[in-house]
Amino acid sequence: MDRISFIERGFRGLLLTLIVIFFLFPIFWILLMSFQTNEQILRIPPSLTFVPTLDNYKALISGHLVTSAGTLDIAFMRNLGNSVLLSTCAVVLALILGVPAAYAFARFKFWLSEDIAFTLLSFRFAPPLLVLLPLSLYFQDLGLVDTYVGLIWVYQLIALPLILWIVRGYFEDISPDVENAYRIAGHSWARTFFKIAVPLAGPGIAAAGLLSFIFCWNNFVFALILASADKQPVTVGALAFVTASGIQYGQVAAAIVLSVTPTLLLALYAQRWLVEGLSLGAVKG
Amino acid sequence: MTSQPIDDSVRVVHRRPVEWLPYLLSLPALLVCIGILIPFVTALYYSTLRFRLNLPALKGFIWFGNYTNLLYDPEFWNTVSISLRYTAISVGVELVLGLIVALLLQRRTRINNMISVLLLLPLMTAPAIAALMWKLMTNPSFGILSYLVSLAGVSDFRWASSPSSALFTVVLVDVWVYTPFIMVLLLAGLRSLPQQPFEAAALDGVPRLFVFFRITLPMLSPYIITASLFRLLDAIQQFDIVYAMTQGGPGNTLLVFQVRAYLEFYQYTNVGKSAALLVVLWAITYFLSNIFIKNWLRLRERSHASA
Amino acid sequence: MAQIEVRNLRKSFKDDAVLKGLSLNVDKGEIVALFGPSGTGKTVLLRLLAGVYAPDGGTIDLRGRDASGTPPEKRGIGMAFQNFALFPHMTARDNIASALTARKADAAEIARKVDAVARLLKISHVLNHSPRELSNGQKQRTALARALVAEPDILLLDDPLRNVDAKLRYEMRLELPALLKRAGSTVLYVTQDFKEAMALGDRIAVLLDGEIAQCDTPARIYAEPASIGVARLFGDPTLNLVEVEPRMVDGVPEILVGGALIRLPASYAAAAGGNYMLGLRPESLHLVDGATPGTIAVDLVAVTPLNEKSVLLFTMEGGNELLASEAGDREVPRCTGPSRLALDLDAVLLFDRDNGRRFIPADNLGARP
Repeated sequence: MDRISFIERGFRGLLLTLIVIFFLFPIFWILLMSFQTNEQILRIPPSLTFVPTLDNYKALISGHLVTSAGTLDIAFMRNLGNSVLLSTCAVVLALILGVPAAYAFARFKFWLSEDIAFTLLSFRFAPPLLVLLPLSLYFQDLGLVDTYVGLIWVYQLIALPLILWIVRGYFEDISPDVENAYRIAGHSWARTFFKIAVPLAGPGIAAAGLLSFIFCWNNFVFALILASADKQPVTVGALAFVTASGIQYGQVAAAIVLSVTPTLLLALYAQRWLVEGLSLGAVKG
Repeated sequence: MTSQPIDDSVRVVHRRPVEWLPYLLSLPALLVCIGILIPFVTALYYSTLRFRLNLPALKGFIWFGNYTNLLYDPEFWNTVSISLRYTAISVGVELVLGLIVALLLQRRTRINNMISVLLLLPLMTAPAIAALMWKLMTNPSFGILSYLVSLAGVSDFRWASSPSSALFTVVLVDVWVYTPFIMVLLLAGLRSLPQQPFEAAALDGVPRLFVFFRITLPMLSPYIITASLFRLLDAIQQFDIVYAMTQGGPGNTLLVFQVRAYLEFYQYTNVGKSAALLVVLWAITYFLSNIFIKNWLRLRERSHASA
Repeated sequence: MAQIEVRNLRKSFKDDAVLKGLSLNVDKGEIVALFGPSGTGKTVLLRLLAGVYAPDGGTIDLRGRDASGTPPEKRGIGMAFQNFALFPHMTARDNIASALTARKADAAEIARKVDAVARLLKISHVLNHSPRELSNGQKQRTALARALVAEPDILLLDDPLRNVDAKLRYEMRLELPALLKRAGSTVLYVTQDFKEAMALGDRIAVLLDGEIAQCDTPARIYAEPASIGVARLFGDPTLNLVEVEPRMVDGVPEILVGGALIRLPASYAAAAGGNYMLGLRPESLHLVDGATPGTIAVDLVAVTPLNEKSVLLFTMEGGNELLASEAGDREVPRCTGPSRLALDLDAVLLFDRDNGRRFIPADNLGARP
């Protein structure tokens, strides 16, 4: 393989550099913008050297936006809080409900098990609006419109199938004899589940939880349709913010940065599990 | 490899006295299933109705009326056309680009590993937010991309605001967000390929292009197919990017399926039509995903059997 | 009262009937070797006894009481698995201790018992290792320790020596019976190696076609196999089978083997007129000089010298092959060619050609070794 010519190696390096620039530049640029004042942003030609300012972040965090037209109250921090609350609760609930269910699907072949699994799987690919639009009408009847509970419940539609999909495979990979040995040694089914099955499937559970959190956080359409104004997460909030704040581009950029930082940091921190979850969810199974 | 007795249920633990346990454990999954099926059936029901939220008195059965109306509606065919074009172009570009990146990164060096992690970041951003990012970058007054493009001599390129370049812009965002997904899958695939065929080919002095087309690609095909199907199924229902970017505009140039259905429901309050549109979309994705799931489950069984 | 009583056990998987009405008794303190070819359901039986599977039919009584409602953790059984089934995320010590932690003994007592059994099985020095770091032999002994540490009165051992290298296997074959007898447990020991079964078992239960074909002491199984199937499983090289039709000639049952007329003992008179397979163990065939009546004319085709014996391959008139074995110190011919073989009439076995069951001669004795 070291017969690659110098020219070819140079070409590959160039190609790779261009690709990296393409994929990373937007993030970098928006980050830059978030530290610029409006005047700096509107300057043409744009320059890489400027005096950075924290005003944009200060405005977002404090919730007050001073414009030439007066003071606007921004509820963006509330959106951030909503995202944290919704995603965390949804994932925790989905893990509590989904891990035992994944175990049941892995270990027992019971009536309807394959049908349930197949249905959940096939709805992973179904258009969300098909379910969401009627659901929005039901929500009004059920009084779930202005609640976190309603949203957390609906978020299960995202997180549960994913967790079932990924964790089931991990449970199936555990040799049943290991669990049998623990039971024969005198432990009940429940202890075997918590002390043997769950620890051994740990990496899968972590990967599934992580991926679910990211998908819940990044979700847009569920919240768009079902969340009332004060319960919207950052995805919907950022869009509303753009329309509302008019020309405060620096703050828009800062809002974007705040919206994506949690998932990007999570992704970097736990990338091994992430890759495993992604490829497992898609290919290996 | 130790031999196992004939029972292929060695994987399964049968416990007769605790028969209700699996049902209890999978109750939430069952509830979620029901939680999906009820609105789904409702949507099917709505699609057979003339139902407008602002005219509830006129609600009534028209059976397949909504569907036949769609067939005669040029807007519907516009939606089909734009959705198909969006899907074909994005997935096509993502496949090629993803494959190129995966090939460039397949050797396990520290730099390659680091780059492949960094390249995951666009995939981790919410597509709606990604659209916002690109919206900022393509803003005619201050967008860096508008500026760069003007340097290249193209003045007044209107990106998402112009009907001629709107599709290009949203496809660009889609490619930016989702190519890493294909990259991850193909990279995993490339790294899992057995080394012997390649070593043998190198020993025999087989030209590299031949190796690529006749050995690498065929062995990668299950991964390529899986990645493509995943993307196809997602791209044809794309909502976030298009809605965040232009809400379906300018005009009707970007009215892909779900965006159109959304607007029918909320702007025109035509529940019946919206439902019918979504059922059509669902039929398409159901057909495609069935093929995929059956194949995927079969691949899983085989990999478990040989394990 | 037997400590393990199995009556008419049935178990199927999908449409495959693995156990078809199996019955077996194991007495207290007895070591029964459960022996049979692979895939015949030995592991399934152990799992049914442990409570991991539930039978489709039949009953299992443990210590005189019906075990069908009892979950595995309450059956008081120790089990060692063929593939060890150690807990990968625990040390060897914790693996062994797991059999005690369920009973809420205090930590000091648990440590004492674990150390004691580890000393017995010579794994004290690896107790703090994780299973990944253990050799196969150490893993096997850890699995065994885990089964023994709670001093269960019933032990199920699923081919524990299978995945272990040859040298250790021979060592353990000597140590294990002593260990088990000292523990005093009732043991059901699964093996696919007939020599292991004969060495370890007070009795051998032969599992064939989903049922126990015979359950007897090793000596009697060898000398008085119940059927061709059982006879074939024991002995190396395996026994020779020749089609014969005994006839009464001058009041004496006679068979034709390879052109030679052989007279059977009078106790075989009842076999006359039927179709049988003659079973000849290789060690019951001897080379003789000279063509005396009752010897078979054969052609020596090949000689395989092994250390403890030599195996000779002959062909008879009619094309059938015979294998004979001579003890290692006996002289064997160097070159192939015509020879004569004599049968040890005390050691012949006659099996019904239709159902494979052994014909029991009038004096009710089988082959005397």
